[in-house]
Amino acid sequence: MEKILDKQRLDDWIAALTDWEAFAPAVEDGVWAFRPVVGAARLDHPNTKQPPKGFAFPQREVFFSFEQIKGEAPRLTQKLPDSKHRVVFGVRPCDARGTVRMDRVFADHVDDVYYQSRRNNMAYVGLACNKPPSAHCFCLSVGGSPVSSDGLDVLMTDLGDRYFLAAITETGKSLMTTAGDLLKMPAAADRKQAASVHAEAVAQPQRAINNPDGAPARLKASFKSPLWEELAQACIGCGICTFLCPTCHCFDINDEVTGSAPLKGNRVRTWDNCQFPDFTMHTSGHNPRPTVGARLRQRVCHKFQYFHENFGMHQCTGCGRCISDCPVGIDIVHVVNKVTEHAG
Amino acid sequence: MPDNIYLPELARITYIKEEVPGERAIKTFRVEPLNGDSFEHECGQCAMLSAFGRGEMMISIASSPLVKEYKQFSIMRVGRVSAAFHDLAVGDVVGIRGPYGNSFPVDDWRGRNLYFIGGGCGLAPIWPVITTAVAQRDNFKNITVFYGGRSPRDIMYKAELEKLRGVADVHLSVDKAEDGWDAYCGFVPANVMDKEPSSDNAIAITCGPPIMIKYVIQNLSQLGFADEQIYTTLENKMKCGLGKCGRCNVGKDYVCVKGPVYSWAELKNLPEEY
Amino acid sequence: MIDVQSIRDAARDLLAKGEVRAVIGYQRGSRGMLAEPVTITDPEQADELVWDATCFHNLALYLVEDRKALAHAQRTPNLPIAIVAKGCDARAIVVLMQEHYFKREDVYIIGVSCEGGGVLVEYKLARLLNGAQALSAVIDGAELVVTTLAGEVRLPASEVMADRCLECREPFPKEHNVVFGEDQTSRQLVAPFTALARFEALSEADRWAYWCRQFERCIRCFACRSVCPMCYCDECVVDSITFPVAPETTAEEKANRIRWIERSAVRSENITYHMTRAMHLAGRCIDCGECERVCPVNIPLRLLNNKMEREAREHFGYEPGASIGGPSLVASFRDDDPGQFIR
Repeated sequence: MEKILDKQRLDDWIAALTDWEAFAPAVEDGVWAFRPVVGAARLDHPNTKQPPKGFAFPQREVFFSFEQIKGEAPRLTQKLPDSKHRVVFGVRPCDARGTVRMDRVFADHVDDVYYQSRRNNMAYVGLACNKPPSAHCFCLSVGGSPVSSDGLDVLMTDLGDRYFLAAITETGKSLMTTAGDLLKMPAAADRKQAASVHAEAVAQPQRAINNPDGAPARLKASFKSPLWEELAQACIGCGICTFLCPTCHCFDINDEVTGSAPLKGNRVRTWDNCQFPDFTMHTSGHNPRPTVGARLRQRVCHKFQYFHENFGMHQCTGCGRCISDCPVGIDIVHVVNKVTEHAG
Repeated sequence: MPDNIYLPELARITYIKEEVPGERAIKTFRVEPLNGDSFEHECGQCAMLSAFGRGEMMISIASSPLVKEYKQFSIMRVGRVSAAFHDLAVGDVVGIRGPYGNSFPVDDWRGRNLYFIGGGCGLAPIWPVITTAVAQRDNFKNITVFYGGRSPRDIMYKAELEKLRGVADVHLSVDKAEDGWDAYCGFVPANVMDKEPSSDNAIAITCGPPIMIKYVIQNLSQLGFADEQIYTTLENKMKCGLGKCGRCNVGKDYVCVKGPVYSWAELKNLPEEY
Repeated sequence: MIDVQSIRDAARDLLAKGEVRAVIGYQRGSRGMLAEPVTITDPEQADELVWDATCFHNLALYLVEDRKALAHAQRTPNLPIAIVAKGCDARAIVVLMQEHYFKREDVYIIGVSCEGGGVLVEYKLARLLNGAQALSAVIDGAELVVTTLAGEVRLPASEVMADRCLECREPFPKEHNVVFGEDQTSRQLVAPFTALARFEALSEADRWAYWCRQFERCIRCFACRSVCPMCYCDECVVDSITFPVAPETTAEEKANRIRWIERSAVRSENITYHMTRAMHLAGRCIDCGECERVCPVNIPLRLLNNKMEREAREHFGYEPGASIGGPSLVASFRDDDPGQFIR
């Protein structure tokens, strides 16, 4: 299903989606973030500071609460997510492809009920990138594209005064059907313009990973390369690269105690990440990844080797956030290129 | 698997025994599910134990799958959650979820000579294999157990090891000589070398401190054991047990799913990052 | 204007003559015009060093990393390590020496004056360039000289510089072994604490609402702490889930460690984190502004540290980073210390 939406009518479409809570990018204190739509939604954002991964995988999630009177058995109360339907507008194609990768992880081997129940109630309405939103975009290197519809329910393309809409999934179709007359049938000229916008978008210069297909094998051969420590030399061990990543999924589970008599608290999942020095530290103090080099290698090899070996795709969608926001200039494109060039 | 993989079931502690005293004491716990119906497990699998308010820890199930009424865990007091467990008493209720990970391919070992080589609390993860093999004694040829601790006080499962002697060869050792100790003195790998086990039609299963495992494998290789004949079990920091939280990741494997049991041949293919 | 060649020559000389074991400086990275930290050990690498308005980083952090690595390896080097230091970086080095983190003779300071300038802010520059891509950015007097594909552009430095640089009272590294550039300490681009004063003009209710909104956003990536040379503690009180464990750490120590702050990135925990950090930086923060620069969600952390800095100045006449041998703010007491803040 393909339609045309007058830009002025975007808000009317969102208003028509009465069964859905709608989110769109908004800027506050200089930070672009997905926020509930109040008033007019404008899709003129570069890319949001954080990808939309938090919708299905929030930074903090309570699994269950516990309560225990001394001498009695504990009582556990499950806290499952609500069943609200949420639709996110303005998702960039790289971030939608991130969602595809998250879906694989949380459904692999066994289902994660918290992730799944949020995810099953989500819809993503994407916006093609007519121009790369960041100087560090490299989606074309990792099998994506600025007009990719992978992971989206609807793909919107900006045609100046109107959007060209393509339904990708059944959910997407129903979102568009709800709009009724707001959406018009595209004319031949609309289709032609959309095709040419897409062709131009794909031709925009981007940064590039030189040999992405060869990366898994070459990284495997480079496990003991001295380049890892060299390239990680300036790393300060913060969590920016992973917390802003659309595909990083590592987490921690802790008990947060809120009362002592009776014992009360919550078992909570929070994001965690492999760049924190003690992420892998055993209780004994032994740490399998004790250096910045070992931790950079883990982040890069997980994305470009291990995940590929398990799922047949890179666990990186080329959004460039880890590059533009690294405090000390560690650049995953440069790292992959440099290590793979020197492989073997 | 239950619908909610993170929700533990409640289980009552029915038995506690102090195995090893001291700073790093080891206690054995048996737990029985409150609802009377727990999960089944295989030799080598682990379970996530909860002390509510303190957190969770991943522990090897030390009882044989043939034992249905309880699950046994031998836990060293090293951290936040294990310290909480050591303060518990019979009758207390904890949380348990599992089973996690792969298992020792015990059925493939029928008709073979089995060598078990353990050190310290590393006897617990291989104990279900030992007890299962002994319960199915006719399925295997010779069963030999090497086990050592720092001192006689550090030997766990003392009575159980003595009971094994009728059906298996048991070679105990301590690192340092002490009055009243008449078995081997020296490290476990040296004890293995001393007894020269034959690699013929044999499988060796080892678990203990990393440095012990390293030298045991070296010595076994020297004795002619092929990489495929040597099995061990890895430990790594774990949080979810389900291949999602990323903590135990080594190469493409999540140890909590693909491990913890590896043959030395398989382990050699993983990056050395454990 | 500073000739980068003079910095390179100094670094090359020091390494070639075996006077230092390494030089911590800036190099051009792979991200366009931006400089990044580097540690060189070979005189041949000296030509890779750069100096421009993108040398944001407070390299004193790497002196701390170096000490930690030495301690871990149980090594006592017989040569100092050299470091390229701006005025603020040099003040950080002074605080570290005042706290006996290392000795004066352990460090060779290659001071570089910011003269009339400082470092730029990427978003301010991008706004002025209107989409053009900058290839290099150097400060020349009161102007920032930017090279773009379309040619050279000269912008008023004060419009692209970081607030921390505009308010800087000491853009000259007083503590140094060698120094390049003029001492322009007397320059006064913007009055100190201007941003703080602007903020404090708001009502208490507005200030509280403002901070709630800021801390709501914190994702607890710990970049502010990780980038700070003063946050050198092996065990951080605010990061209580994990902490260094040695084979001799007992189960009691692990079990009984108090969790002051939970790992959940929620307002209450985030506020406690940032407030605790600000308190621990009182009299130590030398306003390099790195915490604010690296924050991915734009939390104006300088305001917190500036507040502490101004309190220390007004009550005790204290200037952090002014003297290696001088008393530290929180570890010293004078009979005539004012006490009116005690309520």
